[in-house]
Amino acid sequence: MTRTHQHSVWMMLTPAVSLIGAFIVVPMVLTVWLSLQDWSTQTGFQTAEFVGLDNFREIFGATSVGRDFKGALVNTALYTLMSVALILPVSVGLGLLVYQRNVAGGNALRTILFSTYMVPMIAVALVWSKLYSPSEGPINQMLGWLGIGPQPWLSSPSTALVSIVVLNVWQQIGYFTVLVVAGLTQIPTSLYEAATIDGADGRQQFTAITLPLLKRTLLFSAVIAIINAVQVFEPVALITQGGPVGSTNVLTYHIRRVGIERAQGGLGSAMAVTLMLSLIVVIFALFAFARKGDDE
Amino acid sequence: MKLAWIKGALAAGIALLPSAVWAQSVNISYLTHWSPETVALLEQAAKDFAKDHPDVAVTVRAVPFGDLLTTLRSQAGGQAATIAGIYDLWLPELARDKLVAPAPETVAGEVKGAWPAGVVTAASVGGVLYGVPNEIDVYALNYNKALFKEAGIEAAPKTWDELKDAAAKLTKKDAGQQGFGMINSWAAGVVHPFSSLLVSNGGELVTGGKPVLDSKNAGETFQLYEELIKSGSSDPAMGSADANTTGPFLDNFVSGKTGMIIMANWWESALKAGMGEKFADIATAPIPVGPSGDKPRSISYSWMTVVNAGAAEAEQKAAWDFLAWLNSPKSGPNGASAMANILMSMGILPSRSSDVDAFKDKLGSEFLSGYVSVLGDAKPFPVVLGGQEFSESLQQTIEALQYGKVSATEAQTNAQADAAAILEKAAK
Repeated sequence: MTRTHQHSVWMMLTPAVSLIGAFIVVPMVLTVWLSLQDWSTQTGFQTAEFVGLDNFREIFGATSVGRDFKGALVNTALYTLMSVALILPVSVGLGLLVYQRNVAGGNALRTILFSTYMVPMIAVALVWSKLYSPSEGPINQMLGWLGIGPQPWLSSPSTALVSIVVLNVWQQIGYFTVLVVAGLTQIPTSLYEAATIDGADGRQQFTAITLPLLKRTLLFSAVIAIINAVQVFEPVALITQGGPVGSTNVLTYHIRRVGIERAQGGLGSAMAVTLMLSLIVVIFALFAFARKGDDE
Repeated sequence: MKLAWIKGALAAGIALLPSAVWAQSVNISYLTHWSPETVALLEQAAKDFAKDHPDVAVTVRAVPFGDLLTTLRSQAGGQAATIAGIYDLWLPELARDKLVAPAPETVAGEVKGAWPAGVVTAASVGGVLYGVPNEIDVYALNYNKALFKEAGIEAAPKTWDELKDAAAKLTKKDAGQQGFGMINSWAAGVVHPFSSLLVSNGGELVTGGKPVLDSKNAGETFQLYEELIKSGSSDPAMGSADANTTGPFLDNFVSGKTGMIIMANWWESALKAGMGEKFADIATAPIPVGPSGDKPRSISYSWMTVVNAGAAEAEQKAAWDFLAWLNSPKSGPNGASAMANILMSMGILPSRSSDVDAFKDKLGSEFLSGYVSVLGDAKPFPVVLGGQEFSESLQQTIEALQYGKVSATEAQTNAQADAAAILEKAAK
């Protein structure tokens, strides 16, 4: 490689590397550094005092700080698990339904499905908080017509998190359905024609052709769904405030409470670092699992 | 020659501009959590102020109560609102972090002379006044007279035994009706009613900066909660609150599904809006006295307006001028301040002595007089460093008790241990 060539490579890379460094690497490194400090978010970085791993010991300790953090971590994990477990199969089902090009009203159905994704979360949260109202909410009224008694939804620690998951799935399902439809269009129709000639029924075609060839789409969907779920904030902040009994206290909401409301920047950063590491582990595990499947 | 002509033209243009354009040179903003109707009243007051102060323009920003502290902290500095209405519990930490400016001597002198000493103390840290107090809130028992009549109960309960008895009589599970309402998912809504019962049982939350939730009085209060829940007289699922401090707990009281609840005076406007003519069914009574208490007591807290320490000097001066005017007897009707007029529109008690006199008739209404009568024996909610975290931690413990996740004894042990750790750490 000549010196001129090397020079031009650096010239081309510098803008992107600088931007990534300034807006991604520096804040991440700063967060990791702050997680090792005792620091109030209302003071300058020069006031930070090195405390080693004390913040991590505290957030995993037995005090109220530790209990609240571990509770939020578990809530976030459950929320993510339930969201992904619902979003992936439902989006595949809906994708197969709306992918049928010859069905009348297919375009309208696709539009309606995607429209929920375009509604701002503030509107979704307000509407769903009323839908879930235990005494006057339409959902309980409809259940009453079927002879089912009123459900507490957001008012009970055993159902509040699931209720938020349902709200989230309702809003995002259109987006993931569009991803699945895009994946389905990549599957050659000749494969289905050949399978039909060989006598494969619909279920066999689905398990032997559709699902394996949708694998990359589903992997992408799963990664995006996990990231979205881990970042859930608005419905919790707007409707439940983390309650009742901390049952909907997810990590993003808890970090905001600790790091901003209480100004405990060191503890908040330790929580953010733990969340980031957990997310990295999960995403890597997911890719490793997918790669293992490819190899087999 | 050409330059001289341009200068002349500019000078003439400047001279022709309306004086108001030059006069409105200081822009200040006011951050609040009030509803749009109340914000409109504040904006009107700002317009009235501008008549005599054309050099100052006041704009109002409103956020939900649940976002108020976060907004204050995350927007700290020059870009933050110049004035903010804050809850007294937040003041020690905001003052420690130098987010709020000490009041100038003229304002401090006026406040110390015109407000009750307890309210001035709540607006001060280390003897330095940081805010102009405006509202004072106190807790009392609200009950639905129509439901009482239906259940054959003649008077509001005066003791805990009477409270438990009335709550049982008012409970109709099949009709989705609870006797006594407990709030959850909102720190003050959970902790203040509990604390009101605690002080009415002769107890305290904090003494000398240390928590005393391990007292016999506190133990009895946790026990009362457990009994009300276990007997079915209180259904926690009916008590959720949202970020706007509304939600099922309010809906259930408004729709006659809750017989009694302990709440602060400020929710009068929400009850009136939700109940219409049926608001006449609501009455106020002192907090029932516990077995270890001597007389009905309650918890009070106050709000104040503070000025951003990061604002420019001219903005800070304009902000204090505006606050001095807004809270003075000259700015409102009949010797009341404009601030008191705004507060009374929501059913909130003003704290300035001259405002209490000016609104004597209105404060004598059936609903508010019950609150005014308990104010004298009310104990201020402890304003200490770490107070917000302490309050949120106690909220979690009480909610766990409400939902049967812990027993009364476990709740008391956890509450004391958590509070001790939080306050000790904050004091460092």
